[in-house]
Amino acid sequence: MSAQLAFASIGELSRRLQTRDLSAAQLLEVYAERIGRYADTSKAFISLDLGGARRKADTADRNLDNGLPLTGIPYACKDLFDVAGQITTAGSKVLQDNTAHSDADAIRNMNQAGAICIGKNNLHEFAYGATGENIIYGTAPNPYDHSRLAGGSSSGSAAAVGFGLCAAALGTDTGGSVRAPAALCGLVGFKPTFGRISTAGVIPYSWTLDHVGTLTRNAQDAATLFKALLPTAHDIPQVALRGQVIGIPEGFFFTRCDREILDSIDLLMKFLRTAGAVLKPVSMPSMEHTRSVSLTVQMPEALSFHNRYLEQRGHLYSQDFRAGLALGQCLLAEQYIRAKRFIETYRRDMAVIFAGVDALLTPATPVIAPAIGAVEVSVDGIPEPAGNAITRYTSFFNMSGHPAITLPCGMHSAGLPMAAQLIGRHHGDEQLLGLVRQIETDYDFTLPLPDLA
Amino acid sequence: MQKLDKKTLLGIRDQLGSYAWDDTEIDELVDPKLGIITGFQELLEQLEYLRRIDLGSTPPAGDISDA
Repeated sequence: MSAQLAFASIGELSRRLQTRDLSAAQLLEVYAERIGRYADTSKAFISLDLGGARRKADTADRNLDNGLPLTGIPYACKDLFDVAGQITTAGSKVLQDNTAHSDADAIRNMNQAGAICIGKNNLHEFAYGATGENIIYGTAPNPYDHSRLAGGSSSGSAAAVGFGLCAAALGTDTGGSVRAPAALCGLVGFKPTFGRISTAGVIPYSWTLDHVGTLTRNAQDAATLFKALLPTAHDIPQVALRGQVIGIPEGFFFTRCDREILDSIDLLMKFLRTAGAVLKPVSMPSMEHTRSVSLTVQMPEALSFHNRYLEQRGHLYSQDFRAGLALGQCLLAEQYIRAKRFIETYRRDMAVIFAGVDALLTPATPVIAPAIGAVEVSVDGIPEPAGNAITRYTSFFNMSGHPAITLPCGMHSAGLPMAAQLIGRHHGDEQLLGLVRQIETDYDFTLPLPDLA
Repeated sequence: MQKLDKKTLLGIRDQLGSYAWDDTEIDELVDPKLGIITGFQELLEQLEYLRRIDLGSTPPAGDISDA
């Protein structure tokens, strides 16, 4: 019974709360018990506020008729989000005493929608890395295979939802840090159009590329959270699959990819065709230098923020992040500006593509979750750093700024989830969520629950 | 373009108003041994390639407006 609740969607939980079949206090205790049971295994949380959450759950139980979309729903947030009165560590020793004085905008909006923040999630230090490895707080494992990565940088957020420790989680996505771990853990990861969800009160990594995003059990829940995070958003429309034009990028997004993942995308494409969608090959901008462009923007921006801590606390940073910041110091200003101009060219090229399609479809990742500690993964005999592989198909859309969502599309023979990625038009978040919600309704994405015994 | 050497990076650190990076970090950028930064020289070569592409009057990316 408690496992059923722990892995229920927000939609299902809200229905049960509204019918008084379940109280917010009972629901919270289901998660609290599991958090205790899986704390050592999941390494999902850096800090908890179960006392505060219990008080809010009691209040929610007295106000279940308030009409708010998330009343009594427990969620967690990556420990980059400020929550008033709590420490925001960013997964680093550098900020062990960094008490927030006010809520991040995203947290405030979640609170105003009735949701209950139960704790703050583990992450790659300062979101610098896609493996989620953290020498201080441990490395969050994949719920389907504890010897594998949950993925990062929102590793604890993915583990928290994936282990059934909360109903949903907030993360940040600078190169795929919400979508990739969601994909590896069998969840839905959504990053909206750049700038639509406020990043105020979130410790920055790269202002040009950072997005607030969500990790949920399904696309309907992603839509619910999006509306909560952006109260001015339009209603999520009903989208008929018939007549939708889905662009299939040629080349880069379908090369050096695990064969079973490609097969799962083929199945999804066949379903879309059968449902009446039109699949259209599209030529994307050259991807040859996109990682370099992204890195050239990321590291000087990260250094610019972290300069405030380096003099006094530089010795507290992990060695790899210091090396990344040092790289940021050694790039030239014109190289940084030029990289940002290339990003503008990507956006203009993509505007031409989106004039002819409603959405794009790609695999979410070219690999299933790598083993914890793996430095490299290999596809088609070509080795690649694990973190680069995890975000190879996601990072471009942080530069282009398009809304993008990853959703499960089957289980690999290795027992790990595989996922697809759909990308929508700028400010077409609602349309994209409506499209994916319809796909989810019509196509069986159901994955087995992880065996956590 | 010549290969990056340590003296150049020490000059940036010591003469351009930089944070005082350790010698080991400078070494890692020039001659990676720890596997932390594995491609700075390669990144510089790619940036040199990109420098030769004429972007016309394209401005840096900014906000994304709701057209």
